[in-house]
Amino acid sequence: MAFEVNLGHRSAKIEILSRNGNKALLDIDGQKYDVDIVMVEKGVYSIVYNGHSYNVELIEGETSKSYIVNTFAKTFNVEIVDAESKYISSRKQGLDAEEENTVVSPMPGKVVKIPVKVGEQVIAGQTLVVVEAMKMQSEFKASHDKTVLEILVKEGDTVDAHQLMMKLE
Amino acid sequence: MIKKVLVANRGEIAVRVMRSCREMGIRSVAVFSDADRNSMHVRYADEAYNIGPAPSRESYLNIEAIIGAAKASGADAVHPGYGFLSENAAFAGRCQEEGIIFIGPDPYAITTMGDKITARLTMIAAGVPVVPGTTEKIRDEKHALEIVKEVGLPVMIKASAGGGGKGMRLVKIIEEVGSSFRMARSEAMNAFGNDSVYIEKYIQSPHHIEFQILADNHGNAVHLFERECSIQRRHQKVIEETPSPLMNPELRKEMGEKAVKAAKAVNYKGAGTIEFIVSDSLEYYFLEMNTRLQVEHPVTERVAGVDLVKEQINIANGNPLPFKQEDLRQSGHAIQCRIYAEDPDNNFMPNPGTIKHITEPHGLGIRCDGYVYEGYEIPIYYDPMITKLISWGNTRPESIARMKRALYEYKITGVKTNIKFLEKIMDTPDFNSGNYNTHFIEKNERFLLASRPCGTECEDMAIMAAFIDYLTKLERIQPPQYTGELGSNWKDFGRKRNVLRL
Repeated sequence: MAFEVNLGHRSAKIEILSRNGNKALLDIDGQKYDVDIVMVEKGVYSIVYNGHSYNVELIEGETSKSYIVNTFAKTFNVEIVDAESKYISSRKQGLDAEEENTVVSPMPGKVVKIPVKVGEQVIAGQTLVVVEAMKMQSEFKASHDKTVLEILVKEGDTVDAHQLMMKLE
Repeated sequence: MIKKVLVANRGEIAVRVMRSCREMGIRSVAVFSDADRNSMHVRYADEAYNIGPAPSRESYLNIEAIIGAAKASGADAVHPGYGFLSENAAFAGRCQEEGIIFIGPDPYAITTMGDKITARLTMIAAGVPVVPGTTEKIRDEKHALEIVKEVGLPVMIKASAGGGGKGMRLVKIIEEVGSSFRMARSEAMNAFGNDSVYIEKYIQSPHHIEFQILADNHGNAVHLFERECSIQRRHQKVIEETPSPLMNPELRKEMGEKAVKAAKAVNYKGAGTIEFIVSDSLEYYFLEMNTRLQVEHPVTERVAGVDLVKEQINIANGNPLPFKQEDLRQSGHAIQCRIYAEDPDNNFMPNPGTIKHITEPHGLGIRCDGYVYEGYEIPIYYDPMITKLISWGNTRPESIARMKRALYEYKITGVKTNIKFLEKIMDTPDFNSGNYNTHFIEKNERFLLASRPCGTECEDMAIMAAFIDYLTKLERIQPPQYTGELGSNWKDFGRKRNVLRL
């Protein structure tokens, strides 16, 4: 049975044709791979393909189906799409737009600066909030041209992870 | 004689200090906040005391809590590490009052060097060159304008009580002098509770070079050569090395002598660092003195062959320095990379989390000063630095090649790190030629942040690994098959005993 896997913006079809211990024959988007794949350490896979040795590191994401994958060259977000995630994503269609309209703190920290005001027109890339965490200041920028609808924190406030800081329109 | 040292710090530096204590047969005492119960320094120490809640100001910055732990443990000395209370004169003073040895300089040296205007005056009196500018607090805008006309643009307006890149303003045009002065003054008031500001000439394309010094209680002071710290991102050092590619023997000798003079001017005792700004044309100026052990001290240790923490403890014990200036040599080349839990693809946002897996590099010429381990959760309250990776080689190219090898071997999952960014720096032509200043990261930003190409095959490997892992997890969730008789320890025991009887 073929599965769908999302890698960044790419959507790939993957199927295991045969598997015997470490050895596996896979098909990814029509390309056949005859590989020797083994988990050598927790979260680290060693793949030998055509005499090449690849090391791939996996960091489990928020669900058991999502991963952050490090190859030697690049880091990717990877998601395995099964029936359940297809169902969830079909329901989530409307939510994506909402995500763009909010500014959420990804980790606990302290608000050091809010350079915008309610009602202000902001352009993509403009700094909305500066949060200090682990002695470092991080800037949160607007992803699109928007208007600031509501600011829920003030300078000097401490914020928790996933706390809503600002609403945009 | 010091027999028990309380380390008033956390993270890698606490472990590093305790290592030297262990070698010297000194017992170590850890202090920890509620967030650090699982931290390595608590495991490594002989004794450990909780000193309060997670936020630093309620634990690692809480002088009375630390003094309390020192008295409860019967420690005869306190090592402050770097950061936290390491440059706090009040803390050094409190230790003195309680009859506890503070492993560092006396409060006078800390106070004198902590106030930038006083430090400048002291250095001028000692004959150490300072950046052209004022030696007094700026009174008003008119005064500021006069000074700017005298030293010439561009200038830096700095807070006298400042440091660490805070409370500084660069002024390039004359119209901005007034507003910048007002802003710098209010910033200084907010950040340090002291609105004194002064003006310094801004040195274009500066190099940040510092000298390590050691001074004992018997009037002996030596320098342990320079460290090149020009590779910085937002005033935070990222890579340090020694010897500096910019340095020549004459300049090294001259600057080293000035550094020793600077230390003697404040009657300094212990290990300290004199920071200089050096221009492309090799003019050098005193910038500030750090009255503590530096994060980058291992490169000096490796090249000079001196354990700086051991020497700090020897000096605190009242022993004279075991070497003179002419006994000290630089052997080979050392580089240090700071590995941070941060995401270089996302504006270097800190990325705390749980370490799922870690393999640190080993092998000839590599030192790894860290504190994290598999299953450890990096707390969100403190610095995101997780390891200092130090390479040594006979020559600079060998040291760079070895660092690249070590970065390749360094495997960590669970948190994002700047390891790939550091690898890129090692590949940058300007770094390899040694031709760089503090603008290095800005100048090479495109090269440093460009991702390496990952073709379809490379992408497919990522897909494959994730997919196989997902399937393995699915299989594990299925309940295990019943495979016959359930084991019984009593039965096994009986059988074994029967066999033994035969």
